[in-house]
Amino acid sequence: MAKWTAEEKSIDKATQEMIRKAERDGVETVWDRLEKQQPQCGYGQLGICCKNCMQGPCRIDPFGDGPKKGVCGADADTIVARTLERMIAAGAAAHSDHGRHVVLALHEALEHDAPYPIKDKKKLKAVAKKLGIETENREIKEIAKDLVSVAFNDFGKQDEELIKFADSYANEKQKATWKKAGVEPRNIDREVVEAMHRTHMGVDHDPTSLILHGIRTSLGDGWGGSLIATEFQDILFGTPQINRGEANLGVIKEDYVNIVIHGHEPVLSEKIVEAAQDKELIELAKKYGAKGINTVGMCCTGLEVLMRHGTPIAGNYLQQEMAIVTGAVEAMVVDVQCIMPSLVDVAKCYHTKIIDTSHIATFPGALHIKFDERRADEIAKEIVRTAVENFPNRNKQLLQIPKYKSEAVGGFSVEAILDALGGRLKPLEDAIVSGKIRGVVGIVGCNNAKVKHNYNHITLTNELIKNNILIIGTGCWATACAEYGIFLPEYAKNAGDSLREVCETLGIPPALNMGSCVDCSRMLVLADLIARDLNVDISDLPLAGSATEAMTEKAVSIGTYFVSSGIFTHLGTVPPVLGSKKVVDILTKAACDVVGGAFFIEPDPTKAAKVLTEYIEDKRKKLGI
Amino acid sequence: MKTIMVFPERCIGCKHCEIACAVEHSKSKDLFAMFSEEVLSKPRIHVEVGEDLLTFPNRCRHCNPAPCMEVCPTGAIKRDEETGSVIVEYGKCIACGMCAIACPFGIISFGKTYEIIIDRDVNVKCDNCIERQKEGKEPACVEACKTGALVFGDADDLIKLKRQSVTRNITSSPDAKEEPTVPENIVLWRELNKKYSHSSKY
Repeated sequence: MAKWTAEEKSIDKATQEMIRKAERDGVETVWDRLEKQQPQCGYGQLGICCKNCMQGPCRIDPFGDGPKKGVCGADADTIVARTLERMIAAGAAAHSDHGRHVVLALHEALEHDAPYPIKDKKKLKAVAKKLGIETENREIKEIAKDLVSVAFNDFGKQDEELIKFADSYANEKQKATWKKAGVEPRNIDREVVEAMHRTHMGVDHDPTSLILHGIRTSLGDGWGGSLIATEFQDILFGTPQINRGEANLGVIKEDYVNIVIHGHEPVLSEKIVEAAQDKELIELAKKYGAKGINTVGMCCTGLEVLMRHGTPIAGNYLQQEMAIVTGAVEAMVVDVQCIMPSLVDVAKCYHTKIIDTSHIATFPGALHIKFDERRADEIAKEIVRTAVENFPNRNKQLLQIPKYKSEAVGGFSVEAILDALGGRLKPLEDAIVSGKIRGVVGIVGCNNAKVKHNYNHITLTNELIKNNILIIGTGCWATACAEYGIFLPEYAKNAGDSLREVCETLGIPPALNMGSCVDCSRMLVLADLIARDLNVDISDLPLAGSATEAMTEKAVSIGTYFVSSGIFTHLGTVPPVLGSKKVVDILTKAACDVVGGAFFIEPDPTKAAKVLTEYIEDKRKKLGI
Repeated sequence: MKTIMVFPERCIGCKHCEIACAVEHSKSKDLFAMFSEEVLSKPRIHVEVGEDLLTFPNRCRHCNPAPCMEVCPTGAIKRDEETGSVIVEYGKCIACGMCAIACPFGIISFGKTYEIIIDRDVNVKCDNCIERQKEGKEPACVEACKTGALVFGDADDLIKLKRQSVTRNITSSPDAKEEPTVPENIVLWRELNKKYSHSSKY
């Protein structure tokens, strides 16, 4: 078989250069491991393997001649639906636990003087107002306490009512749809727990009922946990404003102490960014022969600090090993989610220290410096010092930093978009109604080693902007676009004529970076505001979603809450559902009748762009615009 | 003549046959105990990826005449008359690799086995589970295959199955819906798999 070349693994030049270097250095990477995993089990890929009880594992013969039922009697439909439900629950749990950690950080600041001052008082008041918390003539601290208590309540209340955040943020039509379908999330944690209960041996066996609860669980994520994460992060660390930054491995600097912050929660990374500016530590770096300290991001943590501070981002998911392969990274500081345990092995070939910081995420072989909100500053400095002291251990012979990097305009929070448009979404809505912008597609994160790195992201984005469709998005998609130069206003020249005109008038790129994957909630808020203004359902709007290089369970949850918010959503990788025709039918057809959105699966991004464009044109026709 | 017929269109790449083979050729014949044995048993059937992520369970065809047997300089490869299987007398094997050169299917593998106490690799290819066959059982890989990609039986009977399917397809009128040999969802899954950029890279 022909060798799988660097050019076939990634479209990104910096990544290709590091893939070749890894081969020379004898370092095993994600692509080598994928190759060794082939063939991957067909039962697993089709979702017809059940491990939920110890009578199993059971598997269903997809050809229909062998076993049609597991030992308990569950058929392919039940098994596939249960598997999917558990994936949604895990994804929702990851986002929502992240959200909880941010609320806890604010709580720690209010109650125990943890060093997290409220940076965005305006946003605090805006969020409080939305939730019906009194803001007039009240101390910021008091408002914040009430806000924390509303959030805690959404994680822990035991009544049957819709959670407060979803109730306050979603429009009435949307809420009516959820109520009718019986999918209103009652408590963010409870829906995850109930998902685990329903999928336990001998409980819920009906694919429709299982998927409906999956929808409920995902809504607790999108309009609950993720939304809380975004809003509280904005309050604590500032709401992103339009700014400039740089992206790709070329942001790693040869003469500096390089610290890569990787993972998801800004509660940690914000403090590292601060500590890296400490004069004493910079002096120490100089003493060791470095010019200073260079903090760069990776994955969603990278996007959080890029959005808020313009901190350079070194790459997305498939570039995490590549950053270490440069031989120029003194420390990679990780917290939670999408962090490959292989980093420790890659780091062994260089001088890089992998430092794990989260109490819930320990990496064997890494240096463990666990984070504690109350001692945040002190711990952040210790981490930075560890990196600085590692500078002299660099092996110059193994040093090779790709030159490639691109500038990117980002920071498009809903608030920043409103500010740019003069306080109202009307200019955007007018452009949609007049047809200058045919519609909007929200593309969400992930890389997946099965997909040529960034290929689907860039191809889909390019195809859609050609058709005058504005792109918004988050996560690894955003980093891919930043690296490719799509986030530059001048990239609008690649868009269709009318979208180009709108972009040039407003001075914006044809695709807008809305943040990390937890910030997909920003896209929901934006869709909701447009639906309110135009007095239609979100599902009536010429909007669509796409997870074109989907990998994580979080992506499954995001996809599901998009669909459940009335958004037609494309998946560019195949989730483990094809073993059940019934489940596929529910996801791709029946869901539309219940929540107004549905999935479609298409690994070819050019073909997907065609379907998404047709869908948007169809919606326009139905709206009569 | 009994044989194992492979229906590659039914192989979904789960590698369950590989595990069952390794268990069968371990000392304990037990999945959980196998991994703590002194000599680790390895699969003698190989599920590898071809074009478009399609898979094929490749194992010894127990040819007659068998090229490996013809070229073996020490007479280590013999035929079990009762089952027609081509088997290796491990003590006589000198690991020269002539059998591997001659084998048209590339299924010879060298390794250690608990069955003889020597500290060197010998030809440990598929023995057609002759012990199981003598007890009236199917080979372990066939028993493990739940999709019917590996079927054990009389060669003529198995070929007849295939022939009947061909006949059905050829005689069905152009207007009639062609009887699918694999279900629709499997066809869809394979079509989607083809679109992955790495689908022909292994």
